[in-house]
Amino acid sequence: MTMLRTILTSALAAISVLSMASAQEGIVAITNGELHMTSPDGDVILDGTILMRNGRIAAVGRDIDIPAGAQVIDAGGNPVTPGFFASQSGIGLTEIGAVQEANDVSTDNDSLSAALRAIDGFNYDSSVFDITRAGGITRAYVAPNAGETLFGGCGVVIAMVRGTEAITEECIGQTAVLGESAARRTGGSRQAAFATFRRALDDAILYDQDPDAYAESDHHNRLSVEDARGLAPAATGEELLLIRVEGASDIRRVLDLQEQYDLDLVLVGATEAYRLADELAEAGIPVIVNPLSNLPSNFEQMGATLTNAARLAEAGVTVSFFDDGIGYTHNARLLPQLAGNAVANGMTHADAMRAVTLTPAEIFGLGRELGTLERGKLADIVVWDGDPFEVTVRPTHVFIEGEETSLENRQTKLAERYKDLKRAERPLQYRNQ
Amino acid sequence: MIRRLLVGAGCLGLVACGGGSDEAGEESIWAKDPFPSTYKPYPSENFAITNATILDGRGGRIERGTVVITDGEIAEVGASVRVPRGHEEIDAEGKFVTPGIIDLHSHLGVYPSPSNASTSDGNEATSPNTAGVWAEHSIFPQDPGFGRALAGGVTSLHIMPGSANLFGGRTVTVKNVPSRTVQGMKFPNAPHGIKMACGENPKRVYGGRGGPGTRMGNFRGYRQAWADAEAYKREWDAYASKKENGEGGSPPRRDLDKETLAGVLNGDILVHMHCYRGDEMVQVLDMAEEFDYEISTFHHAIEAYKVADYLAENDVCAAVWADWWGFKLEAYDSVRANAALVANQPDSCVVIHSDDPTGVQRLNQEAAKAMADGAAIGIDIAPEQAITWITRNPARAAGILDQTGTLEEGKDADIVLWDNDPFSVYARPQRVYIDGALMYDREEGVEPVFDFELGQSAREDA
Repeated sequence: MTMLRTILTSALAAISVLSMASAQEGIVAITNGELHMTSPDGDVILDGTILMRNGRIAAVGRDIDIPAGAQVIDAGGNPVTPGFFASQSGIGLTEIGAVQEANDVSTDNDSLSAALRAIDGFNYDSSVFDITRAGGITRAYVAPNAGETLFGGCGVVIAMVRGTEAITEECIGQTAVLGESAARRTGGSRQAAFATFRRALDDAILYDQDPDAYAESDHHNRLSVEDARGLAPAATGEELLLIRVEGASDIRRVLDLQEQYDLDLVLVGATEAYRLADELAEAGIPVIVNPLSNLPSNFEQMGATLTNAARLAEAGVTVSFFDDGIGYTHNARLLPQLAGNAVANGMTHADAMRAVTLTPAEIFGLGRELGTLERGKLADIVVWDGDPFEVTVRPTHVFIEGEETSLENRQTKLAERYKDLKRAERPLQYRNQ
Repeated sequence: MIRRLLVGAGCLGLVACGGGSDEAGEESIWAKDPFPSTYKPYPSENFAITNATILDGRGGRIERGTVVITDGEIAEVGASVRVPRGHEEIDAEGKFVTPGIIDLHSHLGVYPSPSNASTSDGNEATSPNTAGVWAEHSIFPQDPGFGRALAGGVTSLHIMPGSANLFGGRTVTVKNVPSRTVQGMKFPNAPHGIKMACGENPKRVYGGRGGPGTRMGNFRGYRQAWADAEAYKREWDAYASKKENGEGGSPPRRDLDKETLAGVLNGDILVHMHCYRGDEMVQVLDMAEEFDYEISTFHHAIEAYKVADYLAENDVCAAVWADWWGFKLEAYDSVRANAALVANQPDSCVVIHSDDPTGVQRLNQEAAKAMADGAAIGIDIAPEQAITWITRNPARAAGILDQTGTLEEGKDADIVLWDNDPFSVYARPQRVYIDGALMYDREEGVEPVFDFELGQSAREDA
């Protein structure tokens, strides 16, 4: 019930099939691939073929006839996977972390919160797209940060391409925070944080019941009309509510919240979620965890362990990955390394593969369009030169909606420019532009 | 600097060399340590690891090799080595052996877990020159991060103050062996270092507080301090020669900031400079020539690839991340092939560092990525070379290469036994030995539990 929520409503309408004439006219075939289907049964098809046409997967399997005139890419037995999907990131919002003018992920302005829309700050020319795509990441959820309040507004699902075609979903999910950092934002106690949180939900529900009455009433300490409007879909279970929360005590209270309200929850961070794995599985709440988090950085993360992801998956919780450090935005390209470490610490390879493909697609209501290699889905496909989770393996071909994309970027151009430092006819700045 | 300390090679600069710590067997006054190491290796059995793929940290790879450990030291390494009588034999069929990993850029202990205002002891951001502070006085030896790093195969750490200041203070090298005291971790006979910082950080921190507020202000700050330290050193040198000649006179007043800088000028203290931009590194090299000191390493050297030839010519190591970028403007021109491009220069020195309590746990993966990113642009680097980025080269940069960093006869038996190829994401240390003592054993559950985590119910679930 948590997932696949928007599929039949707005999601399909909002999906952009990139207008790529060549891909639409031609057929591309990837042959001789180790196909990681990531479909629920977790099948891997050896020596498989995928046909792409009109931006979608037209056929997939072992005995596929390749139409005459198709462009053929021989995968040479290497893995072929759905494009990887980063469940949390600031891509397009943060070009440079410490340059305030080039970082729109968060605000210090506390007069607005749930009303914020990440798309307003989205930079269609960010250099991060090309760099991330070269790592085999074809989609990401771009989450605004709650800044000094408890709600950050709605995020964006993007395809990893330049320009307006990047936008897959322009306002999806409401981001929120609880636990230690929420306590700091609300005066220093978790009691205040939860009370403020509930009051905001109540206000949003009031707004939802009668927007005009809400706008005319003059209660103090209430959500602004704009924030109430922004929060209403999440407060009434119409929209995802992604809550950043770490400790088991706080997660317990979030589970209580879900009983009091009709919420469609996703937990983000969730360092100690494994301690409530059965309850989370029972409640059908997906979690997005950092599989590398194992330090007792504070008291709410005292139980941090590398086995969090594996234990959650084992209990039947829907698990996906993110990195809240350098891997949040600039190194979202390292998603395969996160998955590999989850496997090194007990998760099955198939579970980890779903955690970076199908699961994020399902969380954001795009499970029928993305996330597996099944026929009919959008052709976000990556060919790798080995096991995708290995740190020495790189993508060799990245397709987004059937279009092969360039793996070149600022970084590869810089490396090429400086490969030979010998003085030449002209300065380096004339080289490899 | 390193050669001067360890090999005693002649100085090539125009100005006469400083005395150095090991000449005439007398300790330099600049290398005195009132907080001496009390580290003693823990008891160890004599043993031999056989049938292992050995990456020896010297650039060698031995298939089905043997490492013999006797009395906490490496006794022999090779393909056809006989296991001496009385040595326990550990069959490492299908497994790998490397030197213990060394993190050249760590803030464990000075920014420990738990991380809050009470424990934030890594930056004395009260003045742009705090050369007189010592990182070891901030280290919390109960940081659970040490244990996590141990499980990642880290046997030594070079721990530094942060980068807020032009001169951040003295660094310290430790054995990653838990202790009640910091002295009990200090790597015996390791030289001190000094942490310096280029670029954005000092000017950001002090721009609104009297400066420096610009990069040119940074350089004035460094150079004035070096000039003052020269004068200070002359005063003390004059006093020392008077004393030697039996003349009277009282010693000059000690100044702890200048004492550290004089120690650098005398060749006793290694310079570790946080520097992202290539053009700044080259200006720093000129400054080092002006004041006749040497630089061990540029840390966070995001643009090392742009000046890799200068670094190699000047015998300076580049300590880099495999792929971090974009968190600040001076980290914008990062390239994934940075380490490989630097390594591709003759006589270069690449170090992969962590600067991070999470990253330190998987430096093998960082080296693996950097190696693969070299191959991606046609620079083929073998695993036995790439392993030196996290073993031999950081040992060299920290001035401890004569004691650890490679698998060589007579060195400390700081060794990792991996359950798999360490360049695989699925590999994990199975055992970690420090001075031959078994400090970590994944299968047997041998690992430290630091005081902070003891008796915590959440840890009992973990």
